[in-house]
Amino acid sequence: MSTKVFTMIGVVVLLAIALLYPLGAHKDYKSLSSQLTSAQIMHNPQRPLPSFSLIDQNSQKFNNDSLKDKWSLLLFIYTHCPDVCPTELANMAMLKAHLESQNSAVIPNIVAITFDPLRDTPEVLKTYVTHFDKTFVGVSGDMQQIDQLVKSLGAYYERVVYDDEGKSVTLKKHEPLPEDAIDKGYIINHTARIYLISPDGQVLAGFPTPHKVNDMAGDIKLLTQTFEE
Amino acid sequence: MLNHFKKTLFLLIALVSVTFANAASHAHQNNHVNKSISITDPWIRSAPENAPALGLFLRISNHTNQEVRLISAYTKGYKRIELHRTVDSNGVMKMVKQAFMPIPAQGELHLKPGSWHIMLIGPDKVPSKGEQIMVSLEFDDGNTHMIKALVRKGKMMMKHHSMH
Repeated sequence: MSTKVFTMIGVVVLLAIALLYPLGAHKDYKSLSSQLTSAQIMHNPQRPLPSFSLIDQNSQKFNNDSLKDKWSLLLFIYTHCPDVCPTELANMAMLKAHLESQNSAVIPNIVAITFDPLRDTPEVLKTYVTHFDKTFVGVSGDMQQIDQLVKSLGAYYERVVYDDEGKSVTLKKHEPLPEDAIDKGYIINHTARIYLISPDGQVLAGFPTPHKVNDMAGDIKLLTQTFEE
Repeated sequence: MLNHFKKTLFLLIALVSVTFANAASHAHQNNHVNKSISITDPWIRSAPENAPALGLFLRISNHTNQEVRLISAYTKGYKRIELHRTVDSNGVMKMVKQAFMPIPAQGELHLKPGSWHIMLIGPDKVPSKGEQIMVSLEFDDGNTHMIKALVRKGKMMMKHHSMH
């Protein structure tokens, strides 16, 4: 009799913990929002990142496990971008240097995933992203795998080609590129949010533009401390 | 008599020289003051050696009472050079090709990261930091300006609202 009672109590306690844990975690981050300068909380245990498998700049597999046991800042770029993407990467290099100069407890890895794997092979990305900082990691791979990450993180992109008269034409989501697109060139309009990934491999917060180094550094400190408390 | 003639000739030549020098100096000053367009801080963001496109940035001031338009840019060693503007459309950063860049009367246009910029596409060789690149800018008032753009790191944040 007493064994059954203890078992019942145990089950009830475990159920309560399982139900309340996500709420508790969510509540902590929600209360943090008012203290953040630029970051927006994206933490949602009910919606984990999907399983993905991509290729890093050294042609090694880059998947969910690659984001675990470390802090990362994840951004989407493409190397034919003359303005927004190099600005983001330059800002991330300045942020990393700033965190190092402050002897910060957490210095996130910078991971740049391409919107444009057709032109941005692992080799291309390696030369490109390491120009900004030797430790930056460029990631390419299958377009569908990239697309599911883009969707899951609420990012967006659209490809723009030019017709024979030089007029820009925005392609629909799954519309194939014209055969001459590589020769004639195409650009990509895209969101520029940068995502903070926690050591459990899940997105914790997003940084919209502008990416001000001091603001981001302060928010990263608050977010990482709260996560590790 | 001959000495007197020589002295007179020397004085005459000196007088003519001074007059011409003054006139030239005056003309030079007028050119500077009446310049319709002035360009400051032209720079190209240093880029990876395999960068397919580079951004050229500068400030253009228009000292006239009429809008002046930048209609094209040229420098050797690039497949294409285009005028562009980055526009934030509900969080989507759009690169919009421009037929021209308007510099308002008695105003200025600042070409900077996240905003108006000249896009240098398909470089034969990506220039290194510290290099100076000659670029010619053509305006719709018929003037062409040669500038020397320094290749350097950018230190500016990308602005959320970048329109002028």
